[in-house]
Amino acid sequence: MVQSSFDVFTLWKEIYNKTENIWNNTLQETLEKKIFAESLGQIQSQYVQYQELVNKLTESYLKQANLPTRDEIANVASLIINVDSKIDQLEDEFDAQRDRIIKEIENLRKSVSSLEKKLDKVIELLNQTLEAAEESKTSIAAAGNKTVSK
Amino acid sequence: MVTLDATPIKDWIESLPKNDTIEKLKRLNEVLFTDPDPQVGQTPKEVIWTKNKAKLYRYRPYKEKTNKVPILMIYALINKPYILDLYPGNSFIEYLTDRGHDVYLLDWGTAGFEDRHMKLEDYIVDYIPRAARKVLKHSGAKEITMFGYCMGGTMTAIFTALYQKKLPIRNLILLTSPIDFQDAGLYTNWLDKRYFKLDHIVETFGNVPFEFIDFGNKLLNPLSNTVGVYVNIASNVDNEEKILNWKLMQKWLNDGVPFPGEAYRQWIRDFYQENKLINDELEIRGERVLLSNITANLLNIVATRDNIVLPQQIKPLNEKVSSKNKTLHIVSAGHVSVITGKRAVAEQYPYIEQWISDNSK
Repeated sequence: MVQSSFDVFTLWKEIYNKTENIWNNTLQETLEKKIFAESLGQIQSQYVQYQELVNKLTESYLKQANLPTRDEIANVASLIINVDSKIDQLEDEFDAQRDRIIKEIENLRKSVSSLEKKLDKVIELLNQTLEAAEESKTSIAAAGNKTVSK
Repeated sequence: MVTLDATPIKDWIESLPKNDTIEKLKRLNEVLFTDPDPQVGQTPKEVIWTKNKAKLYRYRPYKEKTNKVPILMIYALINKPYILDLYPGNSFIEYLTDRGHDVYLLDWGTAGFEDRHMKLEDYIVDYIPRAARKVLKHSGAKEITMFGYCMGGTMTAIFTALYQKKLPIRNLILLTSPIDFQDAGLYTNWLDKRYFKLDHIVETFGNVPFEFIDFGNKLLNPLSNTVGVYVNIASNVDNEEKILNWKLMQKWLNDGVPFPGEAYRQWIRDFYQENKLINDELEIRGERVLLSNITANLLNIVATRDNIVLPQQIKPLNEKVSSKNKTLHIVSAGHVSVITGKRAVAEQYPYIEQWISDNSK
């Protein structure tokens, strides 16, 4: 059975809320000081030096154990990335060429279509000329016949 | 989330007499040690391009695409991008796709040791423009909206300044993105060249571990980031919604990726220590970055309670750009609550979505 009791979480929250500002102001003052930045820099330097030592020891161990080091594995990965980049460039080049070809084909299509229209016009004009010539020929012949029959 | 064998603690709690406090303690033990992590990034998506570890996602909308201008999201190199698609009902990407926007996101992936020589400019010149072109091609759109969050926003602003004339960038949306590093708060002191041995750090680590950067971020507000988070969850342990949100935030905050070494060196030196960007002194692959080259419509969002990127680091951008349409939107939120949580869903999401819609016609 669940019994109601004193809630430690509420108390914890109340204590935190009441003291947060005081602590924050004190901490903030410290964090803003130049001396803090200097100390932080020193701690960082020591940590980085420790990391440097770990890196050297690890590399030396891997070499002695005849195992590939992090640099060597990274070099292989770099080679793969280079190939990836080249494929990317080729893809870009291919896209650019394809766009250019599509544009050229489109221009050609327009030119051919315009030529077709022009040719149609020429044919139409030729037909009209031929028809006119035929008509005039017929009318001349008819006029000639009339003259002969008179 | 901490992973350890909590069976002895569980057994001990079980052996105590039952009351409300013990029940809460039991639940707290489950929340901290045994509950599974919530599943993040649930909006359906497909990969449309990859390069090295980076992936370009296109989010598959549940609703028909009604907005013609696609949105490309760029995130910081040090975190995972699922903060923009955290959880159903608490996802900025889901909100946008549900309203007919075509959303793409460039996920940087996790840098390996082989990527330690990658510079910021490699990402800005080799990745972002290509991704933007892929988005334009994939969507068949004539223009693009760029969206950058945090450091990703700084990179997006640089990209826009360099590529504004080469690519049809219509809109630029920046969310808590630092531009001016004159006063970066506590970081200005901590990253002082006299104390902070930048070269030594980069040369030793190769890629700078996430924990190293996270330590600095937590130190900005040490009490709240260490004791405060646990007090907060302990006092809300009977509220399942609050537990879920707490877990989501803790998952994201502790789930970072290493910072590629050379990019870190460039970020700290050129930005924090020498403040080159706002002073038109930054060079990317030999080309000077002039923020005045930006002519895209600009929405620049500042969170007033942000202690990672201070408001004074963001605001000066609006004075530098040449955009005719520029908005500085100031909200009362923190660095993360600006884009997640109930208030973000109720206020920020509709505001940004409306701005995008208004500027994409």
